[in-house]
Amino acid sequence: MHALAASKICKRFGGIVALDGAEFALDAGEVHALIGSNGCGKSTLCKIIAGAVGADAGELTVNGERVSFANPGAAAARGVEMFYQELSLIPAMTVAENIFLGREPTGRNGLVDRGRMDASAARLLAGFGDALGAGLQPQATIGDLSADQRQIVEILKVLARPSRIVVFDEATAALDRDQVAVVFDRIRALKAEGRSTIFISHRMDEVFAIADRITVMRNGATVTTARAADTSRDQLVMAMVGADQASATQPARHRPAAEEVLTVVDLSAGKLAHVSFALRRGEILGLGGLHGQGQSDLLRALYGVIPLRNGVIAIGGRRFQPKWPIAAMRRSMAYVSGDRAKNGVMAIRPIFENLVVSILARNRDHVVARGKLGALLQPVVERLKLKFSSLEAPVTELSGGNQQKVVLARLLATEPAILLLDDPTKGIDLGTKADLYAFMDDLCAQGVSILLHSSDDKELLAVSDRVLVFNAGRCVAELAGAERNELALYRAAYLTERGEAEHA
Amino acid sequence: MLARLRAFLGRPLAIEAIAILALLAVGEALSPGFASPRQIVNQLIIAALLGVVAAGQNLVILCGQEGIDLSVGGIISFGAFLGGNLMQQNDANLPLALASVLAATFLIGLMNGAGVTLLRIPPLVMTLGMLGVVNGLLVVLTRGWPSGRAAPLLVEIVQPLALGLPGIVFIWLAVGVLMALALRRTTFGLNVYAIGANEEAARLAGVPVRRTRMLAFALSGLFSGISGLLLLGYTGNVFVGAGDQYMLPSIIAVVIGGTSLAGGSGAYWGTMAGAVFLVVLQSILTTLNIPPFGRQIIYGVVLLALMLFYGRQRRLRG
Amino acid sequence: MLSPFTKPATAVDAGGAGGWSASRSRRPYLLAAAVFFVLAAINAILQPTFLTFDVAASNLAAFLPLTLLAIGQTFVILGSDIDLSNGGIVSLVNVAVVEIIERFGDSAASYAIGIAAGLALGLAAGALNGVCVAYLRFQAIVTTFATSVIYVGLALWILPQAGGQVPPDFYNVYAGAVLGVPNVLLILVAAAALALVIARTRFYYALRATGGNMQAAFFTGVPVARVRLTAYVVSGFFAALCGLALVGETASGDPLIGGLMTLSSVTAVVLGGTSLAGCVGSVTGSVLGGFILGLINNVIFFAHVPFEWQGLIQGAIILAALSGGVAMARRGRN
Repeated sequence: MHALAASKICKRFGGIVALDGAEFALDAGEVHALIGSNGCGKSTLCKIIAGAVGADAGELTVNGERVSFANPGAAAARGVEMFYQELSLIPAMTVAENIFLGREPTGRNGLVDRGRMDASAARLLAGFGDALGAGLQPQATIGDLSADQRQIVEILKVLARPSRIVVFDEATAALDRDQVAVVFDRIRALKAEGRSTIFISHRMDEVFAIADRITVMRNGATVTTARAADTSRDQLVMAMVGADQASATQPARHRPAAEEVLTVVDLSAGKLAHVSFALRRGEILGLGGLHGQGQSDLLRALYGVIPLRNGVIAIGGRRFQPKWPIAAMRRSMAYVSGDRAKNGVMAIRPIFENLVVSILARNRDHVVARGKLGALLQPVVERLKLKFSSLEAPVTELSGGNQQKVVLARLLATEPAILLLDDPTKGIDLGTKADLYAFMDDLCAQGVSILLHSSDDKELLAVSDRVLVFNAGRCVAELAGAERNELALYRAAYLTERGEAEHA
Repeated sequence: MLARLRAFLGRPLAIEAIAILALLAVGEALSPGFASPRQIVNQLIIAALLGVVAAGQNLVILCGQEGIDLSVGGIISFGAFLGGNLMQQNDANLPLALASVLAATFLIGLMNGAGVTLLRIPPLVMTLGMLGVVNGLLVVLTRGWPSGRAAPLLVEIVQPLALGLPGIVFIWLAVGVLMALALRRTTFGLNVYAIGANEEAARLAGVPVRRTRMLAFALSGLFSGISGLLLLGYTGNVFVGAGDQYMLPSIIAVVIGGTSLAGGSGAYWGTMAGAVFLVVLQSILTTLNIPPFGRQIIYGVVLLALMLFYGRQRRLRG
Repeated sequence: MLSPFTKPATAVDAGGAGGWSASRSRRPYLLAAAVFFVLAAINAILQPTFLTFDVAASNLAAFLPLTLLAIGQTFVILGSDIDLSNGGIVSLVNVAVVEIIERFGDSAASYAIGIAAGLALGLAAGALNGVCVAYLRFQAIVTTFATSVIYVGLALWILPQAGGQVPPDFYNVYAGAVLGVPNVLLILVAAAALALVIARTRFYYALRATGGNMQAAFFTGVPVARVRLTAYVVSGFFAALCGLALVGETASGDPLIGGLMTLSSVTAVVLGGTSLAGCVGSVTGSVLGGFILGLINNVIFFAHVPFEWQGLIQGAIILAALSGGVAMARRGRN
């Protein structure tokens, strides 16, 4: 009997299928790794297990008994706790308060005993020894801590709770080697107590160091499960990408000119540190690597959305200081976000308004001349093959893919020379994706240059002329020509042990 | 079921038209003469006073981010006061008085906008604080006594102009047309809807978010000033606190007119119908001799009921 | 390879978890305390009798109602909500208690019934607010506005005109003293003690978490809706206490007495360093904020500011203080 079993789990978010009949079985006292490329559904599956998201279909059992968790509290009551990838910390509260949230130690009078809480937190922190970093005290405010310190707090928070099953979703993403070592000690301690762990990670070395068994997911379903001792890195990579496609190198698609339209030297912003590169006219430069290694931050920094710590940027040879979006637009650089719902689409507004807003801002027009604007938009709409019932229809009547086209069209109407695409095809149907790729090719042929970040590695390789691979905020590799295949990409991104290149 | 009901109510204009007619019928049944042309005109005058204020409130709420203007009452009184004192019952002073009131109330609104966008003070706090300042200023200037006299031309606005309707109603209709044009045909209007619908998306698209919001607050001040001038024309002179009774109904009119409190959707026509509805409702309650407390309770309950359809927020569980 | 956030070679203790923002978020009322002392000093200069026992007691009696209201408002604001109906609850409880005591006559039992009914009303009103905001997920601002209108309406129903008479035995409880200690001081200490006890319960931590990051609190298993409801009930309770204190202060009832107190309660909370966005703040700060507002009134009066200027000066100070308070609290929260 399994400690936990999930079978035929299905989940959709709006029109997007996140899980399609996923299966997973966890034995008591084991460490079970769950891996897969970006968007394969592993986080969603675990959130369902932890009660934070409800499944549309499928069955979940704990120790053979069917369960259904209405909220994380219910899951916790059954002994399931989760480390959330996006962290579940309260920024304005202290380390100790966060670790013990909901189960603060109380004195005899039933009131919270701060002293004991701080002391217990100090004990937990002491387990990390020198690996902690300055400023990580029980009384420190989360908001003052660095990213790795926050992760440690979240880990301690999860470990401090009584549980039978613990889920770690990318718990080591920001940690260094010493810190990871301590975390693994804790996980082994859990194992010794007969508690089970689900470990999601992009880092192969860590997976092999800690896991007993490994499950690979792809496109919302489970591909395979194997004992760590019985498999190899390459076999897992094959399973993640689909063996047939793994080493296929994509043919060259565009003919970029030599002229550099965008030069970036020593850029530091957000997660990024000391990034330099040049973008040529008519080329698509892909930003690849593990999700969240700074690719988005690069695009947003260029557009003026996040502040620059350091760096020199030149557009067409002339210096450019990113301040806010409209400044970039006036230098012919436009940004399209892939997170449609959050910062792309104005959901309750009609399609027309979603389309014209940028061009009005750039042109400093005061009056909305519907006829003139409609005529201006017509070519863009046609090229993108954007179909809708009427311009006045609310944009939500469109599918996810078409909504993304609207966001793209909005910026394209400003006729940019440089396009910053931040994961534009996330969660979009295949047909629309194909349209968008063809469209990007057209743009390149006309001399537009594109910086493309995509969480779909296949797509990134197929569409880009060169690919910059990012890891922990630095550019660790550049793939061009024959190296543009998934095996090379994964080797560079997943298997490069932080500074040590592995040569195939 | 709630969703279906909501979709039905999602066409506020139609519903409100029906509701208003129903109220008029009820009123007429309870008190013959209620729906007579003269009475209807009287109610339209009051509705116009409320409606103009509600236009500014509408803009502020449309911008989202918990936008609200609680200082409208004070600005109305201030506008009436300033106008009356500059006019001193003399038509020759009218242009100067109008220009001054419009400029001054626009500036007060602009200060609200600056506090909200630049200092990032929540609109609730900022406008409530400004209300205190404006009312305090009025006390200083009037010493509590009614002050200022309207110019004869201004008083004319409540006299019938055409089709039996007084000038004030036409002014209100003009405001309505202006709002419709502004919201549908100008970049400013489009930007207002954009930042209310999704401020981050709007920012990324290049919309000047801060400038748009500041202008919305400034216009709210302006509209309150206009309403103050109209009030001056209606009553002849003004006293401290004259505008206070318009604040809460201006918010209610906007909400029942179909503008979401979260911002980003809603048109002024709905607000106009909402203003008429509220005024007729109030008249009925007065006709029924329902004492003030009863009216209060009914307002509150109606507003709560409206929240059921218009004001719910999203759940935490995915 | 080290993470991009490199650690120093040795783990240096940054002196108790570094940063200005950390100390501000632990003691958000420090600025308010400073302002309070400055104002008290100014007051003492302008009014030589300020520091005498009698004057201090009478000041405390005047400041107490708003302070009680502000204490209750603090809890709701910490949870990132707001209670714009607490003034209405004050009015309602105020007139209900007066009416009951008049109805039931002059006896200890009558007082007890009156007080119990008042508190029950406060709890019920708070519960209605909480259910609408936390469970039906209505927007807090307009909803508590709406309930405020209802509560004032009910107050007007019970007592259409200010009036009523409360027997001396009752209001002497408020104005009187026990063993030389003014009762208002005892009431303040009791209320503050209650609030401080609440501030050490698990509920309080859950409340701050809810205000700090509602989604994260939910993921952690905090019963977010229940916590928010409780905060509104607590606010209703303290509003009832305020209404009772006003009965003691004025010895009569007034259905509109709560009118301006709502805004003042929010002002007091913000002045005390509590962030309107939630999580950062303290009851201590709100008590100081209530006192600061009272002292501002005193200073304006004793500075012989002409009567008609008082409202404007007060409004301007409050607006300036609110701006400052919001700006400070935002830094504490980030």
